[in-house]
Amino acid sequence: MFEIAPDHAIGFFAGLLALPIALIALRLIPARRSVPGTAQAAAVLMALSGAIHLGLVTTHLEEPVTAALFVMNGVAYLGLSVLLTWRWWRLASAALLTATVLGYLVYIALRFDTPDQVALSTKLIELAALGLVLVPVRGESRPRDRAWYWATLAAGVPLLTVLMGSTVWLVDLANPDAQHVHAGAVLQATNEVATPEQTVAAAQLYAETKAAILPYQDWHKAWAAGYRPGGPSNMPSQHWMNEAYEKAGYVMDPQRPQGLVYANTRRGPLLLGAMFQMQHLDQFGPDPGGPLTAWHQHENICFTPFGFGFSLMTPFAICPLGAIDISASPMLHVWIVDNPGGPFAVDIDPAALAAVRARA
Amino acid sequence: MNTSRPEAAFVLLLMQATFWVAAGLSAIPFALAGEVFMVVLGLASILLASLTCLLAIGLVRRWRRSRRWVIALEAVCLGGSVLLLAVPIGANRGPVSLLVNLALPLVVIVLLRGKRMRAAFTR
Repeated sequence: MFEIAPDHAIGFFAGLLALPIALIALRLIPARRSVPGTAQAAAVLMALSGAIHLGLVTTHLEEPVTAALFVMNGVAYLGLSVLLTWRWWRLASAALLTATVLGYLVYIALRFDTPDQVALSTKLIELAALGLVLVPVRGESRPRDRAWYWATLAAGVPLLTVLMGSTVWLVDLANPDAQHVHAGAVLQATNEVATPEQTVAAAQLYAETKAAILPYQDWHKAWAAGYRPGGPSNMPSQHWMNEAYEKAGYVMDPQRPQGLVYANTRRGPLLLGAMFQMQHLDQFGPDPGGPLTAWHQHENICFTPFGFGFSLMTPFAICPLGAIDISASPMLHVWIVDNPGGPFAVDIDPAALAAVRARA
Repeated sequence: MNTSRPEAAFVLLLMQATFWVAAGLSAIPFALAGEVFMVVLGLASILLASLTCLLAIGLVRRWRRSRRWVIALEAVCLGGSVLLLAVPIGANRGPVSLLVNLALPLVVIVLLRGKRMRAAFTR
């Protein structure tokens, strides 16, 4: 959802190229003076969307139905962006824009395509165009039912926007690709099946790390070593980070893991495992165990320093007020308690965590 | 004076308010999962969205204060977004982020500034 699909990149460039052309072309239409500026802006946005759709045809020739729909959409948008003074322009434009947005939602819901940045930005352009088509302005030369248009605009555009955002988000969360193991986490690319050497290396890393962190089962020793709890303490588990080790930039050093993970129990913190973390974004660490020890990076997290809470960024690239969009540099967990996902899983299984806490 | 710029700004503000409502609602599942403070931020986002809708209505009605408040609000949004993009914290720089967080507030400010627009807002 937050990447540009390779076969959609051409649409992005087609749109960028089309914007100045559409603005110049609009000035060459003498009749434009008889329509409001909002309609002119909508025409430019539709031309932009039309160019993006036509640009996508070249990379979708192997999908004849999709390519044909792109051609029809592109031609219709370009045609309507020129026919500004046509009597039925508003109705036709609103119908086409709404049908295109809804059609896209059906397309991704049926998994004919996956949501990406080009598609999402095109839909936002179309929603803005729809709003501009519908909005009544003062002193229009052609009379229309203003109350009906205001109601359609005020209810329809937000409803369609929320419907689009929620559909895209649900589809994206329900169908993560191989690199997205869970919401917001991108997994390091590795070979598919671990080799015998990688299995041995992973076991060695596990043994060395477990032996090094066992003293920290007494959380007082972790505190003395410089580990401090972060985030809300009312959660089932909590990361304790060592600022000195983070700054020093040790790379997967079992003696100096950047973080420890504790379960919060009635009897105090109970050690679950360690966490290695790299210093910089997009720089995954060494991967001795191949797919067994793949690092992961958390992207597009909404983090708030007030109360140290977090959520995920919406498909509209917006966080709740007071939270900012951040990404966390690559990390690798080593779990020393039983975890169904394995000792290097991205997360500890909630049931396993609950069992650990219940035993405490 | 007949200009459709305030109506165009109304449409963009309506979209922006919808984005904030979506962000506010998105915080609720995390609040239910234990990130209790997120509910405060979620409600604050929805409150801001409501305020933005009121300001958008004010633009259509040509209220002078609405224009000033919208320009101020969008300037804060734009400044915050530029700051977020400038610091190396891994903020998203995709086309959607650029459209929503940079282009939208910038266009609203451009639509509402200038002598002609000041004159159009008489009430």
